[in-house]
Amino acid sequence: MFDPGRPLSGVRVADLTMIWAGPYGTKILADQGAEVIKIESPRAWDNIRTLLPPPVAPGEHWWNTNFYFHEYSRNKKSLSLDLASDEGKAVFSRLLAHCDVVIENYRTDVMDNLGLTYEWLREQREDIIVVGMAGFGKTGPEQDAVGYGPIIEMMSGMTSTSGYGDDGVPYKSGISYGDPIAGICAAAAVATALIQRQRSGKGQYIDLAQREVMSTLLGEFYMDWSMNRRLPEHMGTGHDWMSPHNVYPCAGDDNWIAICVRTDGEWEALKRAMGAPQWAERVEFSDQILRWEHRAELDEFVAAWTGERAKTDAFAALHAERVPASPVWKMLEVLRDPHLQARGFYEPIRHPEVGIWVAHGWLWRNDGGQPCIVGPAPDFGRHNAEILGGLLGIPQAEQAALEAAGVIASRPEGIPPASEMPATPSLI
Amino acid sequence: MSEQQQGQDEQQPMDRPFDGVRVLELAEGISGPYAGRWLAALGADVVKVERTTGDPSRAFGPWPDDLPDDETSGLFLYLNGDKRSVTLNLETSDGREILRELAESTEIVIESFEPGYLASHDLGFAELSAGNDALVMISITPFGQTGPNASLPATELTLYAASGQMWLTGHPERHPLKNGGSQPSYQAGLNAFAAITGAYYGAVMHGQGSYIDLSVQETYAGMAEAFHTRASQLGIESQRSGNNLNALWGVYEVADGYGGICALPRNYPAFARAVGLDELQDERFSDPGQRLLNNDELMAIMYGWFAGQTRQGLLELGIEHRVPFGYVASFEDLSNSEHLQSRDFFATLDHEDAGSLTYPGRLWLSSGHDWRMGRAPRLGEHNMEVIHGELGYEREDLVRLRELDAI
Repeated sequence: MFDPGRPLSGVRVADLTMIWAGPYGTKILADQGAEVIKIESPRAWDNIRTLLPPPVAPGEHWWNTNFYFHEYSRNKKSLSLDLASDEGKAVFSRLLAHCDVVIENYRTDVMDNLGLTYEWLREQREDIIVVGMAGFGKTGPEQDAVGYGPIIEMMSGMTSTSGYGDDGVPYKSGISYGDPIAGICAAAAVATALIQRQRSGKGQYIDLAQREVMSTLLGEFYMDWSMNRRLPEHMGTGHDWMSPHNVYPCAGDDNWIAICVRTDGEWEALKRAMGAPQWAERVEFSDQILRWEHRAELDEFVAAWTGERAKTDAFAALHAERVPASPVWKMLEVLRDPHLQARGFYEPIRHPEVGIWVAHGWLWRNDGGQPCIVGPAPDFGRHNAEILGGLLGIPQAEQAALEAAGVIASRPEGIPPASEMPATPSLI
Repeated sequence: MSEQQQGQDEQQPMDRPFDGVRVLELAEGISGPYAGRWLAALGADVVKVERTTGDPSRAFGPWPDDLPDDETSGLFLYLNGDKRSVTLNLETSDGREILRELAESTEIVIESFEPGYLASHDLGFAELSAGNDALVMISITPFGQTGPNASLPATELTLYAASGQMWLTGHPERHPLKNGGSQPSYQAGLNAFAAITGAYYGAVMHGQGSYIDLSVQETYAGMAEAFHTRASQLGIESQRSGNNLNALWGVYEVADGYGGICALPRNYPAFARAVGLDELQDERFSDPGQRLLNNDELMAIMYGWFAGQTRQGLLELGIEHRVPFGYVASFEDLSNSEHLQSRDFFATLDHEDAGSLTYPGRLWLSSGHDWRMGRAPRLGEHNMEVIHGELGYEREDLVRLRELDAI
């Protein structure tokens, strides 16, 4: 029975990705029903497992409980396998016969250094789809540059567009924005290649440069350069023709609400939401151009109104009149956004050593009502026996020999005990 | 991949993954057209159904020499390459009938009307997929099809706020900041492209399509990194970190602009070698915990060091030592980038009204297909070709439809 929520069921992915960009992409593949096998070496595990010191009393197996790792690993399987060894590569070769896709986001040269070239992968499975996600791509003079999301954001033009506008300083995003953007695109690349394979019978190699994907989300700025040789100005939270268009302080500590007015109709709606104040009838606020010209003064009036209210109360008044607005949700608050809750965006997730918490479910719904999250992030090497014994038919004695040789493992080597990790209030 | 491999694959004529696939794009603005743009470049026949006054994005700049013109909006030209434009007024029964006829030979529908609009005009998924079980249809709206905010109007700023990401962006002692451009809409378009390709694969394999409800807020909220699980799993709030999450993760002023670093603990030894300052070997910076405890001191060193670097020098140092250094690139830098040009990232296209322009383009390089990069259509350019040529309406019907304001 076809489940439209999991259109990639039946697809098996050998997932060599680490940190965030690649794993965000394979999260999307796993959510859509692909069997994603996360492969980590006993000596080169996904750094995210141990990147952040545990902020609370860590469990014994703290590499399995890290909150960053859990963000993107649900619905996946874990196989520990040392791809740098001949024995590991032999196992990988057998696994590839059962895989449709290999995906990696290593530095440009790593796959070739491991001997895992496209030619070799294709020898193991002729119609294999291979996606390489190096930050700057696999060719060109900057191919050896190294970058995580914030570097990708800077090198794509994205960071140059953001800033308060009064100090000339470009600002980065609050997250490693280049990572998930590349990941989403990688998920699309995999599906696209699968569609083409269904037509042609052939696999393909995809060279997906994270910086280039990020650049495609900035089209109008490239066009303005081509048309007018002009670079963007920092707009802060303002706009080049809308006013009000800003974030306004609300009651309490560091609470804000975003409010925008695009039309005269929305201006009338905003006035109603604010209780038809006298100041709003001033001639300098009487049309869109005048409001924009007097935006500094107008912002002060709106801020005086929001400043007396909780952001949820201000939002309720604006929502009732259909004014474009939203509280600036903090992280703990967005989890309780009534709208997201009503849509069932968050789903409970359980892990024996972590307990129960919520994570986002479907990024989009074509699901027919099934929960998105089938299982939590897999413990390191959890599916070794299932994959090696079950899928590949490797006898138990042989698996034990692999384990004795350090080719597979049930715990990563060389991880310090949690008690030796520094406690820190900072995120990273 | 080796040069030889690329060469072998290039010998063969390229087919494209969506050759022969018909897409109806009933979407305006950025998100839907962004997704449609890549389907077109991958071979699909994307029929863009525009209201008779045109996709409102035609009214957004930039324009050549800042002269507003419906045919030369840089935003529109970028997002609508290779599509065919048909104008239809869905408030008329003729307009709706033509749309139904078009949908019969369509595999994918992308729409961005207010929730419920199409269904109220008998053009919802139920109607359009009748007799076309494999139809994939996606609705892209600010808050999705259901829930208390479903019909609340939105802007980039309000969506950024609603996703939780805005809270994390900007200086901790100033108000939360919006990132530049139209990121909520663009990233939703990229998610829509992933959703469509996944669902279409399912349709190809099983003959069964699906209806997708995509919310801009949800796709954006889904990428709040570890800040999200930190809140949900541990109950800890996160704060804005400005340009420096820590001394080795952030943006710094350099001699000729801004540069940056994003070094994980494992990058520290190479970083210290690349920078070459003895102090970086001090006990106070000897492990990740020490570096966090002494972050202010490390940052002071970094401010001084970065001030003496140049942007290109940083990148080259990063390449030499394999350290994640970069710089805040401008669109001038990028448009002139030898690296991007060597990878054929840009396409120069002629357009009758807009002239010859350089477009950023294509999402990836593939050994199995190329990307068709063509110009965007003029408003209603393909009315005759599609409505007369393919649906079989007579020329006089088109005149009548025009008089009735249906096209």
